[in-house]
Amino acid sequence: MTQSHRLNPQPGEVIDRSAPLNFTWNGKRLTGFQGDTIASALMANGVEVVSRSMKYHRPRGYMTADFWDPNGFVQVGDEPNVRSGHRQLTSGITVDPQNVWPSLDYDVKAANGLVGRFLSAGFYYKTFMKPAALWPAFEKVLATFAPGGSVDLDSTPGYYDKRYSHPDVLVAGGGPAGMAAAIAAAESGARVMLVEHEHQLGGHLRWGSTADQASARQLAESVAAAGVEVLTDSTVTGRYEDSWVAVSQRSHAHAVERLIKARAKVLIVAPGLIERPYVFAGNDKPGVMLSGAVRRSIAMYATRPGSRAVVFSGNADGDAAAIDLERVGVDVAAVIDARSGANIVEAHGGAKRVSSVELADGSSIDADLLVVAAGWTAPTSLLNMAGDRPVYDASCARFFPSATIDNVLSCGGIAGDGNFDEIVAHAQATGRLAAERAAAVQHRLQARTARSAPVEFAEPAWPADVRSPLGRDAHPELFQSSTVGMVDFSEDVSSKDLVLAAKEGYDSVELLKRFTTATMGPSQGKLETVNTVAVLADARGETIEEVGTTVWRPPYAPISLGGLAGRMFNPHRVSSIHPWHESNGQIPIQVAAWERPEHYGNPAGEVTNTRTNVGIIDVSPLGKLDLRGPDVPKLLNLLYTNKWSKLPIGGVRYGLMCAEDGVVLDDGVTGRLGEHHYLMTTTSSGAARVWEWAENWLQTEHPDWQVHITPVTTALSSINIAGPKSRELLSRLTSIDLSREAFPYMTLRTGIVAGIDDCIMWRIGFTGELSYEVHVPSGYGLHVWQALIDAGADLGVAPFGLEAQRIMRLEKGHFIVGQDTDGLTLAVSAGVASLIKLDKDDFVGKTELAWALADRMHELPQVVAIQTAAPTVVPTEATQIVRPGTNEILGRITSSRMSPTLGRSICMGQVPSSLAAGGTALELVLVPDGRRVAATVLDTHAHFDPEGARLRA
Amino acid sequence: MPEFESAIIKTYAPNPGASMFLSDESATTKLLVRSDQAQFGLVFGASSAVGEALICATRPDEWLILGSEPAVDAAAAGIDSGGFTNVIPFTHGRSLFRLTGAHAAGLLEKICGIDWSDAMTPEGAVTSASVALTTCDIIRHDRNGIRSYLLMCDRSFGQYLFDALLDAGDEFGISVE
Repeated sequence: MTQSHRLNPQPGEVIDRSAPLNFTWNGKRLTGFQGDTIASALMANGVEVVSRSMKYHRPRGYMTADFWDPNGFVQVGDEPNVRSGHRQLTSGITVDPQNVWPSLDYDVKAANGLVGRFLSAGFYYKTFMKPAALWPAFEKVLATFAPGGSVDLDSTPGYYDKRYSHPDVLVAGGGPAGMAAAIAAAESGARVMLVEHEHQLGGHLRWGSTADQASARQLAESVAAAGVEVLTDSTVTGRYEDSWVAVSQRSHAHAVERLIKARAKVLIVAPGLIERPYVFAGNDKPGVMLSGAVRRSIAMYATRPGSRAVVFSGNADGDAAAIDLERVGVDVAAVIDARSGANIVEAHGGAKRVSSVELADGSSIDADLLVVAAGWTAPTSLLNMAGDRPVYDASCARFFPSATIDNVLSCGGIAGDGNFDEIVAHAQATGRLAAERAAAVQHRLQARTARSAPVEFAEPAWPADVRSPLGRDAHPELFQSSTVGMVDFSEDVSSKDLVLAAKEGYDSVELLKRFTTATMGPSQGKLETVNTVAVLADARGETIEEVGTTVWRPPYAPISLGGLAGRMFNPHRVSSIHPWHESNGQIPIQVAAWERPEHYGNPAGEVTNTRTNVGIIDVSPLGKLDLRGPDVPKLLNLLYTNKWSKLPIGGVRYGLMCAEDGVVLDDGVTGRLGEHHYLMTTTSSGAARVWEWAENWLQTEHPDWQVHITPVTTALSSINIAGPKSRELLSRLTSIDLSREAFPYMTLRTGIVAGIDDCIMWRIGFTGELSYEVHVPSGYGLHVWQALIDAGADLGVAPFGLEAQRIMRLEKGHFIVGQDTDGLTLAVSAGVASLIKLDKDDFVGKTELAWALADRMHELPQVVAIQTAAPTVVPTEATQIVRPGTNEILGRITSSRMSPTLGRSICMGQVPSSLAAGGTALELVLVPDGRRVAATVLDTHAHFDPEGARLRA
Repeated sequence: MPEFESAIIKTYAPNPGASMFLSDESATTKLLVRSDQAQFGLVFGASSAVGEALICATRPDEWLILGSEPAVDAAAAGIDSGGFTNVIPFTHGRSLFRLTGAHAAGLLEKICGIDWSDAMTPEGAVTSASVALTTCDIIRHDRNGIRSYLLMCDRSFGQYLFDALLDAGDEFGISVE
């Protein structure tokens, strides 16, 4: 085919004939032009059938030939469900029909049409409900009938993007009214964003007369001159609370699609009107087109939509379509004037095309094109989303806005009718009003925002709406003929389906919609809603006003999942020592947002080296809060269960933090650096939570306390040096006396380490070894780490990762909050009763813990150390603990590892208090095989060095 | 003393035709002032130069002094130490980047929900917001009439945020300076 249906150049065409584009359709090589849509290129090449309908697989051609065309979905390469009426042609694309087998011309599934009388609305619900056991089998068969194209899961995902915007005025719709409103608003000083669904501004002027097209160009030039931000091929998909307007931008040069989150001060709704199909027998046959589609095809794309036409016209646009057709040489066999009562009843024809049109008077006219001009639907979706409930005007056969919404205004066809000058004048007034109201909103925002520029005048009064309303043109109510036809072309729902559903009791329009799925397809009701309501009204013997409509919700038009997701941010944190870990064989693990070394290849070896020589671990993610002020001890006494008033300068203490219900919230060590200066550490994942927790208590309960809390987690890089040779290693890098007497366990010192001043060292031991935790200003963290590695070569220094640390802390019996405790674990269950000081005036959780200690210990679990009888068996964490010989679940293993130090498995777990005593026999049910193994509770939490001799060395 | 090491460890090829620039200024001395007293005559949301240093009112009770070490020391002499006041060294805790270019606000619009218009975020404005899902302090600090922003985030997020800014700036022709 060689563009057999392409017309001679048309005055308003948007194609560039100097830029031919090759593409394939259904395996055939075709040519179009730059500026063509896929649909116009196919029409230019004489393609008549482009798809099969969803349920009955009826052949379909173009009906609206634009974004809303329910028949134009195609597969483009690996992208399914492309709207060929809207997507522009690009060079070399492969376009195919979708969901047909074996071919578009001979689709076996068209046999559904033969049994169509049994496939009415609700067929699935009624037929496949029982027997329920067979549903999986039904599902497999039904899945083969699922509509849509095919997804290639191996294809490379596109780049999707997001953007925020704060326009004063956002105009939805770039037709004459939208453009005029945007210009007026911009000229009134507003920042304006104009969003147009189609590829060009101009709306219906683009396919109108020469004068119309000139007006469109002139308005577009004025839009540009006014500094309006214009987004074509973009859709306002929703309007939400606080004037949050979502825009799907498909035209961005760097992204497949971009979701714009616009916080518009005023939204102007100017989407124009959408031409409505007419319900009659054969209304979905290829060759039945709406008048706008015909006029667009001729004027914009220079394609000839048929050879011999019948025009069914209820308005001036239908008449204009007949004139356009005659102008380009199409034989207009008849104009059936609906305004005089004439009607059509059926489009006859074979599988590929209309061949004749049957009229209500019984006559028949041969034609391969039936043009329908039955009226328009006002797409009031955005008004609905803003709270409006448009009302139906029977004299005009369409809905109009009803409510007055302060920051949502409408203009253009959705608001009323008029000639060009009247429409533009109303839109200009709307734009000016929007700008005034936006200025009032801006004043309010600016006056209330600390960082903003100062406002220099009083807040203006809210501008009143003094616009003269547009008129309303009469239009005949043309919804359905005397015959049965398709109402929802996307979902294959006919007028008969709707009537039947109403008879079955689904006679509320909301119920009818959900039962039949009418209006729920990709057209989102733009073509179908009013006809659906009209058919239901007829079935109920009521008026459209009495039936009412469904509520239009977001999205205005479907948006891709990629567009909704936007760019995927994955913030992750690394320490200052991260480069060393990366270049020295770390196996990383993600812990909360942190990337940390889990190990460096041999975690058991790392344990052994640390227990034998010296190991260093990067513990920078440890939460760190700088506390300053005379009332810090009060805060610590409030947050921790133990006492803090007498912590000396240079002292370090462990604390357990609870929520009000006594449940363990976090734990950590706090050291006193000066008279009024402390450093608190938290768990790595709990840093933000503890900061917020402490600030909450300070700001809401004790605003009189003088305490400043400053998070310094990454201001300080933290290195733990552990092992019997740790003192020797550290002493090589600092002049601070590290002797046992001068720097005892649970104390801190400050000074120079490896030449770096302001380091904080505290002597603590999570691993159970003699160890020092050094906190270094992070800009020098890597330097100190490397210095430790270099200085300790002869001592056998080696890094160890998180896994080795976890093994060693389990050997030592230190629990981890959130692993060995859970959301129900009270502090009294954690095995640290000595830290709960009920003789303090108060602390968070005291009441609950006092009650628990007095009356509830018998019913509460305890965290205990456990060893299996078989030393090589390492039960999986979360393994159930049962009463021996029974299936009574008593508790669970919370931590378990093979201990390289002890050469056996070691565990921690939660059991009832009655079974927490050392020597108690337990039984574990292993996963996955259910094998049972004996286990015993230990006397203390520590499997290794229970006296703590090593860490106090 | 060894050289201060920034969180930005990658190297980037310059973009010769760039019209937007991102630079790592993390080594800038940063001093945090927490106080219940008014400091430097600056209210929350504003910033001002004091000598060679920049003072930013980052929270209702918090001011941040940025600059070279001597400049920050000089500015710190003006701190009103009355009431409950603490001064906290902050150089190592935060990465600091400068984004400069006529379309810098357009870049930030892609990854941050703040209104960057002149009315809402004028020269000197200080705000805190999520930038690419990372909490940042942002200061508008134009250079020679060209729009410029200082962005400060937790050091551990520095490399991530730097890369996120470069990614968002790709369409504007960004280059590392």
